[in-house]
Amino acid sequence: MWEIMSSRSTDAALLVDDQDTGPQGSVVLEARGAGKRYPGVIALDDVSISMRRGEIHALLGENGAGKSTLIGILSGITEPDSGEIIIDATPIKFSNAAQSQSVGITTIHQEQTLAPDLTVLENIFLGRELRRGSLLGRFLLDERAMRKRVEHLVEEFGLTAEDLRRPAGTLGALKQHAAQILKALAFDARVVILDEPTSGLADHERMSLFENMRRLRDRGVAILWVTHRLDELFGLADVITVLRDGRNVATVDPGTQTPDSLVRLMVGRRRSAVADNSSQARGTRWSGPEEEILRLESVSRAPLVRDVDLVVKRGEILGIAGIAGAGRTELARIILGADRADKGQISVNGKQVRIRNPRDAYNLGIAIVPEERKTQAVLGDFSLAKNISISDLSRVTRAGMIIDRSAERKLANVYVRDLEVKTSGIQQKIRNLSGGNQQKVVIARCLFTRPALMIFDEPTQGIDVAAKNEVYRLIYEFVDAGGGAIVISSELPELLRVSDRIVVMREGRVAGEVAAGPAQSEDERSDRAEVIMALAVRSSS
Amino acid sequence: MSFLPNNATVGQRLRAAVTSPNSGVVSVIVLVCIFATIKSSVFISVNNGFNIASQMVFILLLALGMTIVLISGGIDLSVGSVMGLCAGVVAKLMIDGVPMVIAMLLAVAAGAGLGMVNGLIITKLGLPDFVATLAMFGVARGLLYLWTAGTPFLDYMTDTYFVIGGLRRPLGYLTVPIIVALVATLIVAVTLRFTPFGRHLYGVGSNSHGAMLSGVSVPRVRLLAYVCSGLLAGVAGVLLAGQTTAVAPDLGTGYEVYAIAAAIIGGAALSGGRGRAIGAVIGTLTLAVTANAMNIAGVDPTWQQVVTGLILLLSVVLDRASTLLRSRVVQIPIQPVAATTAATAR
Ligand SMILES: Nc1ncnc2c1ncn2[C@@H]1O[C@H](COP(=O)(O)OP(=O)(O)OP(=O)(O)O)[C@@H](O)[C@H]1O
Ligand SMILES: [Mg+2]
Repeated sequence: MWEIMSSRSTDAALLVDDQDTGPQGSVVLEARGAGKRYPGVIALDDVSISMRRGEIHALLGENGAGKSTLIGILSGITEPDSGEIIIDATPIKFSNAAQSQSVGITTIHQEQTLAPDLTVLENIFLGRELRRGSLLGRFLLDERAMRKRVEHLVEEFGLTAEDLRRPAGTLGALKQHAAQILKALAFDARVVILDEPTSGLADHERMSLFENMRRLRDRGVAILWVTHRLDELFGLADVITVLRDGRNVATVDPGTQTPDSLVRLMVGRRRSAVADNSSQARGTRWSGPEEEILRLESVSRAPLVRDVDLVVKRGEILGIAGIAGAGRTELARIILGADRADKGQISVNGKQVRIRNPRDAYNLGIAIVPEERKTQAVLGDFSLAKNISISDLSRVTRAGMIIDRSAERKLANVYVRDLEVKTSGIQQKIRNLSGGNQQKVVIARCLFTRPALMIFDEPTQGIDVAAKNEVYRLIYEFVDAGGGAIVISSELPELLRVSDRIVVMREGRVAGEVAAGPAQSEDERSDRAEVIMALAVRSSS
Repeated sequence: MSFLPNNATVGQRLRAAVTSPNSGVVSVIVLVCIFATIKSSVFISVNNGFNIASQMVFILLLALGMTIVLISGGIDLSVGSVMGLCAGVVAKLMIDGVPMVIAMLLAVAAGAGLGMVNGLIITKLGLPDFVATLAMFGVARGLLYLWTAGTPFLDYMTDTYFVIGGLRRPLGYLTVPIIVALVATLIVAVTLRFTPFGRHLYGVGSNSHGAMLSGVSVPRVRLLAYVCSGLLAGVAGVLLAGQTTAVAPDLGTGYEVYAIAAAIIGGAALSGGRGRAIGAVIGTLTLAVTANAMNIAGVDPTWQQVVTGLILLLSVVLDRASTLLRSRVVQIPIQPVAATTAATAR
């Protein structure tokens, strides 16, 4: 495993527990003057960063700032155009992921790296399988040892021992995410790199992730950590590096910073207005008739959704809260026609309907921003413009059959501008956009269909602070013009902020409803948050 | 693949059996057997079982290789041609006086080498699997035609080769080809199930980008998959030359179709990430049993092809259905915080 470093394998101790490679605080991994260009963009420009033993190093920046590119370079996925990587004071060149791993760097990437057909356990060890000890055994997998290695971690992350044996593809997004994280924690690494590990995690899972990060830090591991949630940083990060437009604009001590000052560093002078709260207020509300857009009556789909009643009215944002496995995404899939309900009735605009597939839902004016953008929403090889127009080509066709490319471009441009998608042009392939920018394009696509009801499943996953407000604004605009929205989110503060009402789901049922809405005091908000948490996890019925 | 807890009830076990992979295909085999037994009394006899096994071995060897390639997310259209060419290599070398063992080893090496060429074209030049192996399909077949100049290689058989080809059977029904096929099945099964390489095959086929990010050398895994397929085709060619006693230029034509059909009936997915060695056996068995039953029942050969196609469809559909059923059955245990309540609430 450590062949590359054989010359120094004596001090590059495999196990971090008895590490003696230097005192806490000595530099383990360093990038100097790293640069990377893509056609039309400078993704990274002369960036230097050093990571020390026992230090949590937070990496901040807007969508497209170059964070994942830097991580790609450190993990051997992306070849830099310039600059060097230095490990233990020796320059080194990675030409693939395995080499980076072999010097003790473990990375959780922003995108989905699970193989759906492999079990969770197989996924965790993919590429780094444990083998048996004996001579012949070196060619054989050691299933028991692998299971043992992760056993104690499994429950902390909301997985069960059973889950380890299931194909990863059969698990929900949250559990898949947990599995990704275990992929990093299962190994004794010297450097752990986490690209947005908390996006989409529920609160208690985030807490246990942080707990593990602290534990790793105390054992002398260097951690590089990307997040868009500034509230997480304080008390956890030891040092913060901020990237903007591919450049390292600051490396600072969190003690000297506030969330606002960090946002200013991230966005520069350009958009410093976003940091203040005034732009987040909701505009004039929908004043038209109070019509129901969607009504569900005892909708069930065994075993995940049971007897759900719901109403969404015009001009209203309905939040749905709940922990992993509460059936929120499954409910959204039923409304969208991706899964059929076993029983119950769905009415749209007062008329009872049958939604057999997403096409039906679309015809009824229902659109969704799905939870797993990589697998469910993005057409990787399509250009941005095509990705936006795909759901409603009638808006860009002439005589109902011929696609008017220039109209497509024009319309797409409007959305790209509104959402501030960072791209070198709308003809760029979407797979080459940064993660957060892909999410914005998916939102643009749904808005493009001009639906009556939009379902947002974790809408701001991976979206930077500034753009988050932009997404909220778009949701507001949409409902204030007479649309209805359902927002599913594991971020309670987000739900409390955007929703007018919040329905709490537990074990497939509606456990209760809580009023939300803007103009609340801090106290009121935390009270409501407590009520919601209580409803979401209460164990006896 | 079973997610049953140890204390599963009889009902749960029954349901798991119906929804387990390949159950659809197995039921097809059982149905065909019942049908054939009713129609004719010869069907269930040792002799007939042996006939089926002899027909199976070559397809099985190719189907094993095909399964490996399919799992990795590729497809190998060249196996029939490669098998034929390798048979030609043994025959010609032995005619030219090369010792049998060396001739056989060279033939197997040729198969592996052609597989490697496939793999290199795909991984180094970036050609689609379909195109690269389609080209090899033509090239290998063409070479055999050129080499034989249109007339079969004859007169290479030796006493030992009769044994190896399964024409002489010192061990009774256990012929050399059958033994080789069994051993190959075992090796492939162990490789897929218990070795890192096997694990990587599934990983690459299931999510190649993710596997790359996880540190798997994706090109190497894909290359090796084609080498395995070529190697198994080489082995099949050596055995086949011993059974036919003549290598005609069209030897092995159409076998790639059987191999793909067998692998898919056995549960391998064209989209990659799925497939098992035992599946290849079951798939091959299905093809052989039905062909045999139809022969005995005197079904017109043209109709036999139609039936084979329908069986391919039927088994895949049944497998789909059982997968759907399974996805519902398996999802029952949701374990949120209140796992105990969920269990008792039912
Ligand atoms: N393969 C590629 N081809 C072309 N451009 C690329 C490619 N990969 C990244 N880029 C561009 O490089 C820039 C930096 O992207 P990067 O993924 O590093 O951003 P990020 O900081 O991780 O953003 P996010 O917060 O959205 O994940 C973006 O403008 C992106 O479009
Ligand atoms: Mg990123």
